[in-house]
Amino acid sequence: MSEKATAIAIRIGSIIVLLFLWYFMSIAMADPEILPAPMAIFNAIIRILINPGPEGKSAYFHVGITLGRTFATFGVAMVLGIAIGLAMGLRKVIEHSMLSLIPLMLTMPTILMVFLAVMWFGFNEIGSLVAVVGVVVPYVAVNIFQGAQAMDKSLIDMAKTFRADRNMLIKKVYIPQLLPYIFSAFRFAFGMTWKIVALAETFGIKFGIGYMFFFWFEQFSMEMVLGWIIMFVILMLILEHGVFARLEHAAFKWRPANKLQT
Amino acid sequence: MQTDNKPATETVVAVNNLTKKFNAPMTGEEFVVLDSISLNVDKGHFASIVGPSGCGKSTLLNIIAGIETHDPSDGGTLEVFSHSDAEQPRVGYVFQNARLLNWLTVEDNMTFALQSQKISKDLWKERVDKYLEMVGLEGQQKNYPLNLSGGMQQRVAIARALAIEPDILLMDEPFSHLDEITARKMRFDLMEILMHAKPTILFVTHDLGEAVFLADHIYMMSTKPAKIFKHIEVDVPRPRKPEDPVIFDLEKKLVKEFFSVLDEQLLEDG
Repeated sequence: MSEKATAIAIRIGSIIVLLFLWYFMSIAMADPEILPAPMAIFNAIIRILINPGPEGKSAYFHVGITLGRTFATFGVAMVLGIAIGLAMGLRKVIEHSMLSLIPLMLTMPTILMVFLAVMWFGFNEIGSLVAVVGVVVPYVAVNIFQGAQAMDKSLIDMAKTFRADRNMLIKKVYIPQLLPYIFSAFRFAFGMTWKIVALAETFGIKFGIGYMFFFWFEQFSMEMVLGWIIMFVILMLILEHGVFARLEHAAFKWRPANKLQT
Repeated sequence: MQTDNKPATETVVAVNNLTKKFNAPMTGEEFVVLDSISLNVDKGHFASIVGPSGCGKSTLLNIIAGIETHDPSDGGTLEVFSHSDAEQPRVGYVFQNARLLNWLTVEDNMTFALQSQKISKDLWKERVDKYLEMVGLEGQQKNYPLNLSGGMQQRVAIARALAIEPDILLMDEPFSHLDEITARKMRFDLMEILMHAKPTILFVTHDLGEAVFLADHIYMMSTKPAKIFKHIEVDVPRPRKPEDPVIFDLEKKLVKEFFSVLDEQLLEDG
């Protein structure tokens, strides 16, 4: 077996082992209200996908709501984070003021930040936006700032001897050097964003997958709660590894040994 | 430090008694980096500055290129004259490393320079093709720099600098990071380019043999502070051969002279 095939076999094998452990645990506990068997969850997912849920809203509606919130807040957070990170790289005043604020924000427990955001700004779109911005922006800004610091000064000098204007410098010299940092922030920030959105929905924002977690939690239906969670995690895995990894691959095709990493 | 009024002569770079001082960041102690440097580069000439590493040769090129400043109160003047219609003199710079934008194709690296110089888009393709062929890289337009060897990357850098058809082409030890066989081949090819394109070049090196082989004018520079102590004209028609006795004897003579001056300096420094 080739090295790659072995790696894939181990990856798939570990998931199968986990499923078996789960299965035996559920038999040992014999309490489906606490730990349903894997097949029960699988059936729950099918039911979620086929049947209209409470208030006549289908699973696709809730997933759509959550994805919409995730993409919108993620976009805002990325733009703000990149802008602040760049500003930190360009202006010492901003660098120093941010370097004292950002650790505060990063140290704050995420769950508390989400809780405060919805308490202050309401159980609505603004609340979830503030929660995402509060958690994700400091992280993105720090990453971009590191990228700005690692910028190759010799290339900037080269561009200046040819009298490249500001626009050319930004588009052809600065941004391409920042791109690896933007992508790494992008992947991590996306993972954080959907978790925060789901959490804010669980706290009581109308509709979305978090809303459904809480709905089924109140109904004491562990099957449905786990069904929703596992379904959503699989969807997000596909987005993160299938879509973003390919985007990244396309952006870095100039690297000679650029192999697709998923 | 750069002006665009055209002089009567064919002078492209005129450096007169240029002095550059520099304050050490920690102690504030003043260093003289360049000590009343005077040199002239005329249109179509190849001038070379030869001096030991770290003597301030690159600083001079950087001032000409406008990426380091010269404080007029330090003394002296430096002027670059444009001989084209461009508003400002065009400066092409080939560094020790290729300094290519690795995320752009070879062609886009060259058009980056052309666009920066505000050269009409209609000319881009023609210039790229012409100068890539001149450096022996025809057909590499769509390739990415990291797929090329170090020598080929440096050829792209030379093509990029030539493509803007600069008033002055600055070259800062452009072959010093290459292995000797590649460097030797590059020197022959540069000679070939000189005979066809006739660029005006100011070439910095620590290798006297390289300077004698390539240049029309050699300025020998001592170190700490950098001072030009001799100016020689090399009146040998191109193409030259490194084993040509005239070239070989001149190199031997200059090496002797060069080290006698440097040794003297070493003794003075204790």
